[in-house]
Amino acid sequence: MALETPPATQERDHTRAALAELLLALADDEFVTGYANSEWTGIAPILEEDIAFSSLAQDELGHARLFYELLAELRGGAVSPDEIAYDRPPEGFRNAQLAERPRGDWAYSVSRQFLYDTADYVRLECLLGSRYTPLAQAAASVIREERYHLLHAHTWLARLAAGDTARERQHAAFTALWPDALGLFEPLPGEAALVESGIQPAPSAALCQRWLEQIEPMLRQLGLPWPFAQRAAGWEPLLAPHYGGRAGRHSREFAQLYDTITSVRRLEPGAQW
Amino acid sequence: MAAEPTVYEVFRREKPGAPMTHAGSVGAPSPDLALIYAREIFGRRGESDALWIAPRSAFQLLDDQDILRPVLDRSHRTVEGYRMRDKREQLLSQLETKR
Amino acid sequence: MTTGHANDTARAEAFKQHIAAGGKVEASDWMPGEYRHALIRFIEMHANSELMGVLPEREWIMRAPTLRRKLALTAKVQDEVGHAQLLYRLAEDLGKPRAQMMDDLLAGRTKFHNVFHYPTQSWADVGVIAWLVDAAAILSQKALLGTSYAPYARTMQRICWEESFHIKHGYDIVVTLAGGTAAQRALLQDALNRWWGPLMQMHGPPTPPEHDRDLTLWRIKTRGNEDLRRDFIATYVPRVWELGLALPDPALRRADNGSWEYSPPDWAELRTVVGNHGPRSAERLAFRRLNYEQGAWVRETMAGEQARTQTCGI
Repeated sequence: MALETPPATQERDHTRAALAELLLALADDEFVTGYANSEWTGIAPILEEDIAFSSLAQDELGHARLFYELLAELRGGAVSPDEIAYDRPPEGFRNAQLAERPRGDWAYSVSRQFLYDTADYVRLECLLGSRYTPLAQAAASVIREERYHLLHAHTWLARLAAGDTARERQHAAFTALWPDALGLFEPLPGEAALVESGIQPAPSAALCQRWLEQIEPMLRQLGLPWPFAQRAAGWEPLLAPHYGGRAGRHSREFAQLYDTITSVRRLEPGAQW
Repeated sequence: MAAEPTVYEVFRREKPGAPMTHAGSVGAPSPDLALIYAREIFGRRGESDALWIAPRSAFQLLDDQDILRPVLDRSHRTVEGYRMRDKREQLLSQLETKR
Repeated sequence: MTTGHANDTARAEAFKQHIAAGGKVEASDWMPGEYRHALIRFIEMHANSELMGVLPEREWIMRAPTLRRKLALTAKVQDEVGHAQLLYRLAEDLGKPRAQMMDDLLAGRTKFHNVFHYPTQSWADVGVIAWLVDAAAILSQKALLGTSYAPYARTMQRICWEESFHIKHGYDIVVTLAGGTAAQRALLQDALNRWWGPLMQMHGPPTPPEHDRDLTLWRIKTRGNEDLRRDFIATYVPRVWELGLALPDPALRRADNGSWEYSPPDWAELRTVVGNHGPRSAERLAFRRLNYEQGAWVRETMAGEQARTQTCGI
């Protein structure tokens, strides 16, 4: 670990485990989102959009690979990024449940992309200041690619809000998405150690508030569902977030997705592909 | 579909300092999507350093050969219109004889 | 050209001479209606093939077994959609709207290449398609670089450049499987056995040049079908054999004079398959239709917004 001040051994092991969980959560969010979004390749409503959405998916998979590489290094290089990504049971995944839902209709997919990428941006901005240097460096690369994702997300948010049918579908999508989206900020096990050591400079709850503050004006201006009440401490959700992903609890839909993703690889375990 | 998407012409620059060249066109229902689609079709591999995107209707077309390539002699404005070697040698030999 | 105007006839004659002399045509140039129709038909089928060609490989995007394979396959399928976009734009500029081309494709009024009517059964198919189907396709596509229609030539330049990694990606999968476990090799051999017939049919039956107007009269393409097939066989059969793999044609061999002998491809099968009666024709078209219908509201929203902004004079 490239921490500036090495903590005492026991504490260090604890922090190291927490760091591994953080890297896995970052990587799995991108990996599963990348898989889900790549399904649009070839069948989006507009040919050109098909290409755009596929680019976003490929970027996400590229980011996942980067985070898996960090994790592989942290584990001493005995295991490859592919082995980490594919050779785990479903409960080994740490992605938020938002990522694992089927792609739904176009309104659902682009609305999910908006919520995911705006949240991811806030998280990456925070990690630019991580005291774990490899992570800060990775965040600096990834965040540059995220700017295009935001451009795409904002464009579609406004486009859909402009049409009648589209607007109805967009509303339905946001209503369905909110509990899952809040799950992105489910605190990680060992988060206290991450914050204390400066690996993750701010706690998830603070990042969630930062995210809500950023997107609130836009969503409210477009009249989209905003299930939050304003309190002294910030926006309080009026619905229960879907937590569990960070602890390896996933939906039934994920079991299917996992089966598909690993189906070829499981044919010949340990083989080269 | 009621309306056909607007056609936008796309120009690209391959690297800093290179000229803008015509890349192709995209159809898009709005300028902001035209920008995204141009990026996808002509820049998703990192092959472009800059893109220019404008509606096809903004371009005026001039391909009339009578206007662009006048038929009569314009050699006075080209390098090829001045064959100086023979002329110079002729003068030099004249001067030589006089001397 | 239905006017039969004396002027047009003379113009068409001059146009044919221009083409015969190796001349190029731009979208804004005058062209005989017959040439325009031939171009649209040819380019539209090319575009349809890219679009339908997405589906067999797309089935494996969610199952790709490593991060790199996943990225490469997604990028390759995405490129094919990109090529469909480039080609449909050409046909649109020649006067056929995209929506009409989609309607014609989905109704079975226009065609797409034979190889995209077959099922994919294993990951090895992904390798064989990306290597050999793309290699066969790129031969045809390179033969279009010299086409008389200049915008098509420029587009093909771009497409051929973009396709260069596809074949390598396919070859990498094939070589990896060939050097893998017995089960992996068996998957690969099985894929080759199934794809070889369609591959041999892919360039089409040998047509006498005088009947191939796209080739001889309009110079839309510059090489004949049989010529392309022979080129494919000569280049790729040795490369398949050197991997220790077999091809399911007992007659296949290099003759002493260096030319290749092979069993005649099954032209009846080709006709049936491109007539949309192939093993997966109906499913693929139905899948395409379903997705197209499900996305109709998005296109309507966009068209509506475009109309609105135009009337506002924005």
